[in-house]
Amino acid sequence: MTTAPRFAVVGHPNKGKSSIVATLSQNDAVAIALEPGTTRDSERYPLSVDGHLLYELIDTPGFQRPRRVLAWLQAHSHSASDRPDTVRAFVNQHRDDPRFHDECELLTPILDGAGIIYVVDGSVPYHQEHEAEMEILRWTGQPSLALINRIGDDDHGEQWRTALGQYFRIVRDFNPVTAPFETHLRLLRSFGQLAPQWETALDQAVEHLRDQRRHRRKRAWALIADALGDMLGHAESARLGEDASRSVLEVRLRQSWQDWQRKRELRLRREVEQLYQHHHLQRQEQHLEWEPGHDLFSERERRAWGVSRAYLATAGFGAGALGGAGVDALTAGHTLGAGALIGGVLGAAGSLYYSSKLDRLNLGPLSSGGREARFGPLRDPQFGYVVLGRALQHWYLITDRNHAGRDPLALDNADSHWLDTLPRGQRHALQKALQQSTRHQDEKRRQALREAVAQAGDAFLQWRRK
Amino acid sequence: MPYSPLRLLLDFDDQYQRDQRQSPDFLHRRDRQLALQARQRDGATPLPEDWLRTLGADRASGGHDPRLRSWRRARVLFVLGGAVLGVLTMLGLLYYDGSQRINVTLLLGFAALQLALAVLTTVQAGIGWRPWGRLLDQAGATPSALHDLQPPLAARVAHSGGLAFAIAALLTLLVQVVVRDLAFGWSTTLQTSAPGYHELTHALAWPWRQWLPVAVPSLELVEQSRFFRISDQTPADPARLGAWWAFLAMVWLVYVVLPRLVFLALGRAQLRWRAKRLLARHPGMAALRQRFEQPWVDTGASNATPAPALDQGKAADGVLPESGTVIHWAGAGLADDALFGALVGGERAPLRLEAGGSASLDHDRAVLEQAGQRREPVLVLTQGWEPPTGELADFLDDARQQWGEDTVIALVPLTTDPGGTLSDTTLAQWRRFVDRRQHPHLRLCRVPEVPS
Repeated sequence: MTTAPRFAVVGHPNKGKSSIVATLSQNDAVAIALEPGTTRDSERYPLSVDGHLLYELIDTPGFQRPRRVLAWLQAHSHSASDRPDTVRAFVNQHRDDPRFHDECELLTPILDGAGIIYVVDGSVPYHQEHEAEMEILRWTGQPSLALINRIGDDDHGEQWRTALGQYFRIVRDFNPVTAPFETHLRLLRSFGQLAPQWETALDQAVEHLRDQRRHRRKRAWALIADALGDMLGHAESARLGEDASRSVLEVRLRQSWQDWQRKRELRLRREVEQLYQHHHLQRQEQHLEWEPGHDLFSERERRAWGVSRAYLATAGFGAGALGGAGVDALTAGHTLGAGALIGGVLGAAGSLYYSSKLDRLNLGPLSSGGREARFGPLRDPQFGYVVLGRALQHWYLITDRNHAGRDPLALDNADSHWLDTLPRGQRHALQKALQQSTRHQDEKRRQALREAVAQAGDAFLQWRRK
Repeated sequence: MPYSPLRLLLDFDDQYQRDQRQSPDFLHRRDRQLALQARQRDGATPLPEDWLRTLGADRASGGHDPRLRSWRRARVLFVLGGAVLGVLTMLGLLYYDGSQRINVTLLLGFAALQLALAVLTTVQAGIGWRPWGRLLDQAGATPSALHDLQPPLAARVAHSGGLAFAIAALLTLLVQVVVRDLAFGWSTTLQTSAPGYHELTHALAWPWRQWLPVAVPSLELVEQSRFFRISDQTPADPARLGAWWAFLAMVWLVYVVLPRLVFLALGRAQLRWRAKRLLARHPGMAALRQRFEQPWVDTGASNATPAPALDQGKAADGVLPESGTVIHWAGAGLADDALFGALVGGERAPLRLEAGGSASLDHDRAVLEQAGQRREPVLVLTQGWEPPTGELADFLDDARQQWGEDTVIALVPLTTDPGGTLSDTTLAQWRRFVDRRQHPHLRLCRVPEVPS
């Protein structure tokens, strides 16, 4: 039985080792930017599929005293053939020595058979002091790969490539904060090239990760569709007594309706973040807080994600025509398309009529006497577009965000509207699904909304990648 | 105990609602594991009922399902009400004071009305029309999965009530026939002849006329039993007027009781079919299948806890001492003569030394010895953008030991570009480094402004 490949991510302190592990293991809890001198043990981050371990990344502390280690090794080695044994002897000798705790921690997995991923910062100049580290790693005799991670703005990559090429067979550039997902996978595949027996496991892992991403995308769109359906169909109700003021009750119900909508939207945000394993985004300070003015009900959001009256009229016409065409079909075409035409006109008129109209309080009888006051569901078609646009934007930012990322999520301003990339037929289907969600949601309508949101998600992705 | 589709749907929906509170990672791990175990054991993906049983979520596997209690109560009420109403209605229809005959046409019309109501109920359930929906919604407390099943459930209640009505009415008719002398006749304002009426009754008796001729009225009976309201004509043979009862009982049985029975059975089948369809289209079902099929890729992320935040360090910015001894650690600032000029002070000739980096440890020891001989504060320039390492800590500890406790050591972290400043975050790691050294005369100093 072959053991799963393991890779020790090693290097000078604070060169982005943990960031690389965080991104590759999709784990935003990896301790990033812990400083040297703070005692730290190696952390293992396995990737297993159905309980079967495919590979393991080992985040290690950085080298603290490489010159001393190398001096010891040189003093105790007689020939090149005993170098790995000499490194093992060093670890055995110094395992309980606090001064060499970090070196023992990082060398132990390598001596146990782990491949070496040596990480350097390509934004600072190359310095000879790293040579002691690279020399020690060469002494272990394990397959190795060097990663140039540019932490800052400067670029000294060429210097580094030349120097690293003398010690490592494979040298790659990789930015764990900005590298797209496909680059993660390419890097993982290159880990498999270090030893022939590791290739299959890494290839399998890459396929599983790609599959998992597809699955997550579908799930995220379904979550968005469900939240959208809930938000569009939600109503707040209360009993209106004989002496109660209608206007006061309307303000109160409107407020609680808006609070409910905000909470539901926040729940969706958390669900999407959890799906992509961004468990600590909220704890990483205010990074997920949307900027002031980006409230669900702000005018700014309406301008950013809402649609024009012309769009509403055409999409409303299309959605109405879809329904009217059903009447034409029922009459076997004897209505000569009048059903579609009338449905279209009604759809367009309805969309325009309710546009920019907040809902009013509806009063109905209560079975126990008195009157029931209801606020919602909101029939303004713009609301659905604003909720959907914001949700897709958040999803896109999350899906594009690496787990090493610590910067705030930022909203971009764009010159075009994402709906421009949505084909006409799908626009009509979306409009119809949004309109129908303001009424009772049965499974058929929920499914229609899910399909429309999935199509919208595809269009949004194309729009962002333009 | 086999699972009925309705109970399966309700249990599944309940579990789905509970799962909403769980993390997606947990659900995926749990269900994928169950699927793999089932495949290993049975060679197939588990069915929803097996899945529920494994989770222990088949709470309605025995006895009455509490989630259907209100529908059960409504059914009992409708059955009781229908039975009472059936007795009263038939007594009313058969009311006979001896002055007039009981009109067969009225009974036939009433049977037709019952048949029409039964058909209407079934159609309403079939198209999913909920005229009473608002009433049920206001009553609330209906499990969400039952919402879409309200039309067939309501139809079942209505048919149960209708069946009770029909059977009670039929029994009442039979009892009345036995205990009373009923005189039936037929009457209508329309210009209908006796043969025409006979044709109608003959057609209505089609289902049983072959095997139960006694329940088919003859032309003579039809002719003899016609009556008019303004007429005191008495029939030649009054005993014959009671002969209609068999026909009426069969009409009631075939056109009122049996349709209700058939529709009730159909409603039951429809309920099962819709429950199955709803379960197949349940939002949780697609997600469950995906969890069954999708391999569980575990990166251990859900179990990890983030590292605690680090403080900013306590060491305050120290005053740069006047000294002519400068050590460039790992080559920091070695090429910057202007900086060196701005740093050094004092009357003695400046001494510029290099340690750390690629230098040997023996060289470091020699540097310590050379700097210690000058008996003055020492400036140690470092690459501020690099984190302080154990080698620098060793060097400073050795210096303290060799130079004595009282020698001031100024640690000056530099930036990559001359004249730049270190960020607070970068500087904080140097502050914490100085804190950890616990050296009373080790200072952290900023680079002084270099005159251009």
